[in-house]
Formats: sequence, C-alpha cells, structure tokens
Amino acid sequence: MFLEVKDLIVHYGKAEVIKGLSLKVEEKEIVTIIGANGAGKTTTLRTISGLKTPSRGEVWFCGGKISGLKAHKIVRLGISHVPEGRKILAPLSVMENLEIGAYLRKDKKEAVAGFKNIFDHFPILNERRKQIAGSLSGGEQQMLAIARALLNQPKLIMMDEPSTGLSPLVVEQMGLIITDINSRGISIVLVEQNARMALNLAQRAYVLEAGKCVLEGEASAMANDQRVKSAYLGG
Amino acid sequence: MKLPNNGANHKTNRYKLLAIIIAVAALVVLPFCIESGYIKHLIIMACIGTILGMTFSMLYSAGLITLGAAAFYAVGAYTSTVLVMYAGLSFWVALPLTVMISAIMALGFGALFVRNAGVAFVIISLIFAQVIVIAIGQAEFLGGWGGIIGIPRPDSLGPVEFATKHDFYYLILAFLLLVVVVYTALYSSRIGRAWRAIKLSPNLAGTLGINAYRYRLLAYVIGSTTAAVAGCFYAHYFQNITPGAFSGWLSIYVQLYAVLGGLEFYILGPAIGAVIMTFVPEYLRVVKEIEPIITGILLLIIILFFPGGILGTIRNSANVSFEGFDARVKKIKASLTGKR
Repeated sequence: MFLEVKDLIVHYGKAEVIKGLSLKVEEKEIVTIIGANGAGKTTTLRTISGLKTPSRGEVWFCGGKISGLKAHKIVRLGISHVPEGRKILAPLSVMENLEIGAYLRKDKKEAVAGFKNIFDHFPILNERRKQIAGSLSGGEQQMLAIARALLNQPKLIMMDEPSTGLSPLVVEQMGLIITDINSRGISIVLVEQNARMALNLAQRAYVLEAGKCVLEGEASAMANDQRVKSAYLGG
Repeated sequence: MKLPNNGANHKTNRYKLLAIIIAVAALVVLPFCIESGYIKHLIIMACIGTILGMTFSMLYSAGLITLGAAAFYAVGAYTSTVLVMYAGLSFWVALPLTVMISAIMALGFGALFVRNAGVAFVIISLIFAQVIVIAIGQAEFLGGWGGIIGIPRPDSLGPVEFATKHDFYYLILAFLLLVVVVYTALYSSRIGRAWRAIKLSPNLAGTLGINAYRYRLLAYVIGSTTAAVAGCFYAHYFQNITPGAFSGWLSIYVQLYAVLGGLEFYILGPAIGAVIMTFVPEYLRVVKEIEPIITGILLLIIILFFPGGILGTIRNSANVSFEGFDARVKKIKASLTGKR
C-alpha cells in the first residue's frame, strides 16, 4: 500500500475533529477529499504531513509507519504538503522561496537542475524570480507554492484548496498543472471546496462530514451521485 | 545558484564593496583622530554594544526574541575572570576556554529553552538572565554583589601590550569584524535561509524539511557564545565587574539597539542603534535619574511611529519618494497626451 490512513482520531484540545477516518491512496493516483468547512479536510492533511499528531490511529507510507514522526522527517520520505492560506514566504523573492524549497537538496548541482526543471514547467516564475513573492498574483503565488513543493522530489503531493481565491480561468490552468504533475508519476491528494473541479481531476474521492468519511468511491460515479450533487455541486 | 547578473546589479555590488572598504578604513584610523580617552572609551563600549545587538538579531533572525541578551555576556565575563584570576591562566588560554564553556552551557540551556518559541521563550530568556545575575550576586567566590576588581589586562601579544585604549580598540574591532563576516556568511547560507523560513512560518518550514528546533538551537548557541566573548573582552578591558553591570536594563538596551537601528537589518541595525544609544545617554548625563523614562519614551515612539527603525524608515521613505516620482512622471505624461 502506498499511503494508508487507519482509524484516525485527531483532537484539537479536547475537541475531536477527526473521528475514525480511514483512507487509501494508490501510487500515481489522484485522490480528492471533499467536504464542507470544518469537516476535517485540512486536519487530515496536517496529520499526514506530521504538523499534527493523531490521538489514535496510524498513517502508513510506502510500507513504513509515519504517524508520530515530525513534519521535517516526513517530507524527507517523499510527502510534500502545499498548505492552505499563506503558502509562500511573502517578504522574500521568488528565487529565495525556491531556494528554501530546495533545502533538502544538499548537492548544489542537483538544486540547480531542480530550478531549471521548475522554470521549464513554470516559465512565469523565471520571469518573476527577483520579484517579491507577496507581489505576485494569486495564481502565481499558488504556482510558486506548488513549484516549491516539487523541489523536494516528492512521491506524493498533498494540496490544500489550490483553487481558493483564483479566477475561473486560473482555476482551469491549475487543473492542467495538477494533471501534468500527476502524469510525471506523482500521486496527489487534493482537498477542495471546488468539488466539481476536484471530481473531474481525481480518480477516486472521499466525502468527509464532521470528521467522518460518509462516502467513498470512483470520482466519476460520485459526480453523478444525487447526495453529492445536492450537497457539494449545487444541485 | 549562479544567476546572470545585469549591469545595474554589478554596479551596486561595486558601490557596496567600496562603501565597506571605506567604512573599515575609517574604523581603523578612527582612534588617531580622537584625543579624548573618554570618547575612546565610549567607542569601545559602542563596539561591544554592537556585538551584543547583533546577537539579539541573530536570535531574532530565527524567530526567537530574547529579553536576556545580557545572560551570556555575564557568563563570559565571569568565566574568563575566574579562569585568569583563580586558575592563573593567560587571557589567551582563557578566551578559547570561555568560548567552549559558554557554548556547552548555551547548548544545554538552549535545548530546554527553544522548545517553545514565541512568548514562552521571551519570558524564559528574561527569567534566565535575572537568575544568572542573582546567582552571581549570591556567590561569595565570585565576589557577591560587590563584584571582582583588579582583573588583569590581556597578556601582551608580541609588541602589543593592551595597556592602552588604543590597543583594546583594535582587539575589539577585530572581533567585531570577525562577527560581521561570520554572521553575514551565515545569513546568506543555507542555514540563514532556513532561519528566515522558520521566522516567517515554522509550520511551513517543517513541511519543507527544516527542523525548526535544531536551527533555533543553533542560533541560540551562536548568539550566546558571541555574547560570552564580548563579556570576556569587557571584563579584561573594564578590569572590574559587578552583577549590576549585567542587569535586566542591559538586556533591554541591547534589544533597543536592534529595534532602533532597524530590526530587519541584522548587521547594520545594531551598529547604528548601539552607537546612538551609547553616545546620546552619555550626553544626557545631567538627567541620569530620568534616563529610564527617556529610554522608555524613545522605545514607545519607535514602536508606534517607526516600527522599521532608522534604517527601515529610510528605506521605506526612499521607496515612497521613488514611487512618488514615477507617479508624477505618469501624471505629466497623461496631461501632455490629454492636451493633444
């Protein structure tokens, strides 16, 4: 099994936020987690990437147990997390953001090759590399966050609401970027409020409600499910 | 990564280098231009203040705000004094030993302290500095509250005797420049980038593979050890030390050096702040009793109206005036095309 979450229970203080969640991600797969605000989507990602320690349950990755490890160890194993909210280091330049992203690449030549690869895929970042990251547009900031996550050569990328606050055109572009990354053999866990886009991109989907998985299955089937339609796709 | 530099950048780099050479040259000839021993003393104290301010900035660069910058300054001063006066070692043997002892101490205490960044660390650092002062004051063999007097000057090094303020100035200047070079190198290295990421967002740094705890500890150890060396120089320069010299006031002053000069300028900020805060209060001697009030008001004014400090304010106003210039050019262009 590539990534497996078993009976996860997570607390914030005394409040139980995740109440026994299990999910699986296969290699080279796009899996989406959809659900309303407060359903526990972000907490799930934070627990997998080690920013939050579960009270019970386990996370396994590539045959090893990773729950309980610190975030900086987990990223070394090949899980990159593109967090929601302030994803970039706003006062620093684009290049400095990327240099920090390449932190794990101790070999300079490798790092330079990594930057070249990034600039091939995101030429706009090359144009803006001296610009202050905070002055980029929303879409460019999101690209920078994704590019930075890619620099660690992950096997799995977890993206937390990459389409939030972006115009429809840029959301479409983001969809292309996600497909492109996946076509390079990188698995993706996509957390989205924009369920329509997420279900279009993903092979499988999990629907969370109040910290529990209420529905799982093929993304295409899910898009036609009456319950999902009425709750997340606006009728 | 080597990036293609355009011409403008080359030019600014050359100007920067020129400015640095002139500044260092000015610092080297400075004592020859000054007659008064009193002013020479103030310059030496400003150099020590600059070093302490830079240690504050070092911790700040890693997201740690210390209110106990004087703690290891005291540790260094007393360690070296004990080694020289009680163990009979030469200053030049005591110095590296002081570095080692204070580094080990910083590692041990830091390992406990930096677990909690944020407010917890601020409070712990403040308490630790106070505890150090009180512990020294209670220790009979360290001279208690009366301190230790008659600390010898450093042994002469060849022809250099360290008997005069002149020689001492060069000793402290050499160390100051060493700190500047090492710190600058650190800030622009992979370590410095990790610090910046941790300061801006510890969680994000974690997801990028950076061990925030270890890097904070590194900053704490480097900063504390530097402060200890400054303390060592101070003890053998001033030749007497009392616990009172390392009180909480000093820690607040050190913080003020960095804030006044400009918090985001890790090297130049403390230098400017320390020079101002060393000379201005000296010339306000007449009002020594109300000096803390003036210092407090000054701190309030900076925080409320000039949060970027002197350098930050200069940089911002320079940007604004450039923007203003661009806007005016646009306006004129618009009015010209409008007339047509």
